[in-house]
Amino acid sequence: MVIPAMVVFVALLVVPVGYAVYYSLTDYNGFPTQQPEFVGLDNYQRVFATSDITQTMMVTAIVAVVGSLLVNGLALSLALLLWRTTRLTALARVVMFYPHVLSLIVVGFLWAAILGPQGAVNSLLDSLGGSPLPFLSDTTWALGTLVCVIAWAQFGVQLLIYLAGLQAVPSDLLEAARIDGASRWQTFRNVTWPALAPSVTVALVTSMISLLKTYDVVVSLTGGGPAGSTKTFAYEILAVSFPKREVGLASAEAVVLIVVAAVLAFGVLAMRRRSDEAAS
Amino acid sequence: MSGVQLPAPRRAAGRQDRHSAAWYLTVGVLCLLMLIPMYLLVVNAFKDQQDIVSRPFALNPADLTVRHLVDAWNNPDFDIAYGYLITFALVLCVNAVALTVCVPAAYVIARSSRLVFRLALLFFISGMFIPTQVILVPVIFVLRAVGLMGTFPGLVLFMASTTIPFTIFVFTGFIRMLPKSLDEAAAIDGAGPYRIVGQVILPLMKPILATVFILNSLSVWNDFASPQLILGPGSGLYTVTTGVYASVGEYSADYTQVFPTLLLAVLPILVVFVLTQRWVMSGLTAGAVKG
Repeated sequence: MVIPAMVVFVALLVVPVGYAVYYSLTDYNGFPTQQPEFVGLDNYQRVFATSDITQTMMVTAIVAVVGSLLVNGLALSLALLLWRTTRLTALARVVMFYPHVLSLIVVGFLWAAILGPQGAVNSLLDSLGGSPLPFLSDTTWALGTLVCVIAWAQFGVQLLIYLAGLQAVPSDLLEAARIDGASRWQTFRNVTWPALAPSVTVALVTSMISLLKTYDVVVSLTGGGPAGSTKTFAYEILAVSFPKREVGLASAEAVVLIVVAAVLAFGVLAMRRRSDEAAS
Repeated sequence: MSGVQLPAPRRAAGRQDRHSAAWYLTVGVLCLLMLIPMYLLVVNAFKDQQDIVSRPFALNPADLTVRHLVDAWNNPDFDIAYGYLITFALVLCVNAVALTVCVPAAYVIARSSRLVFRLALLFFISGMFIPTQVILVPVIFVLRAVGLMGTFPGLVLFMASTTIPFTIFVFTGFIRMLPKSLDEAAAIDGAGPYRIVGQVILPLMKPILATVFILNSLSVWNDFASPQLILGPGSGLYTVTTGVYASVGEYSADYTQVFPTLLLAVLPILVVFVLTQRWVMSGLTAGAVKG
């Protein structure tokens, strides 16, 4: 009874990973007429020696690290604001969450239309007598805009995680802290945070792993520009190397990303186990 | 598997029962900020280019027109209704395939203590960490080898395979919580394993089936990379996301095309979300382990 699931899983998820490893060691343009030619570790050398590609790694690292800090910071603060369940907080949660159900390709196009040179924000600045801001046309600004748009679209899920995590905060301790006259900050620091900290670490790393794959929103928001400043690693694989028929190079890049994601995921599992042990 | 259970609604635990004015102000302002892009999307879908560029925030009934919305709906290059049809069929087929193969597999894994099945579970779970968009390039070659590249079944199979690890993980945890005496009783009455799954286990799995269905549907509906690479431009098949990309990407300066097309693309999912938000949000909390 396990076999059908195993067949689909192995054929379309495990075998491709094997193919990726194999192609990553070859020079191959993807045409059925050409035989992949074994070239050893050449593709990996190119991945780490080409400045265009190492730049996409930097961009991806920035998106993953800054993005997950921003997402989790926003989510945690909002979870603290919307902690109690009332009709108003229930509504506010829906409002905070709705961008998550939009596809990132739409989110990117929408923000590109709002932040573009002729977009709503610059039009507003113009009518207020200010000068336009280069949200998407300056290299530094564009990367910042990308990270913020991702945070806007994605923090809803982390918000839900923290709201669920806050249920685990012992209410008798909160009560005791209130009776003892603890300030809000003291209560947060000594009661809420210790109960929440394990889920924060896990949430940070899981959001980092998912941000490593950032692709759709780059396609629609910036197209990787200006001057490649917002090209992520996944964008490099799917929209640069593959269309250039550099199957070997694209596969080597894919393997690198899989390894990084696996290392981070392993870290999460280890952290989970440790926090589970600490809890029991 | 406590993570799969929904947090019980919490009563205010004796803390101050009312929010301060500052709280109302903060939450109100934050909600407005979150909604501004949606407001701009809706309002500007009904305006002319000149009005969008010069007064994007204005809502003047005299300037509104449905002309551009009608044009976007009738766009000869991107038939939105057709995109919906394909995407909707995709959601149904991926869920059908994933649930059909995962329920029996999870049942056997959950009920057996043999090492093989424990290893099988670990093997499936390890698949959760494969970044799916990134292996699309080799997937193309696998699909080409079996003649499914650029076809709807090929896309369905790949998307189903990406949902298998998480689905089996969650199902296994859920089935383990169901009392074993139920299937033993059915077995004594002469039911085979498939009959037990179909008539005893499956009806009890309704809540987790709903959660997984919601999560899978959302990710299939919004996926862009898989249909973009597997269907490709030559197949004539497109989903809502790849269709939006093809029609908006080229004309991103023509706001009278951008806003109406985007509005039509998000409208159904937003309506469905608003109607089902309670289930979607609790389902996502349950599935947050997916990361």
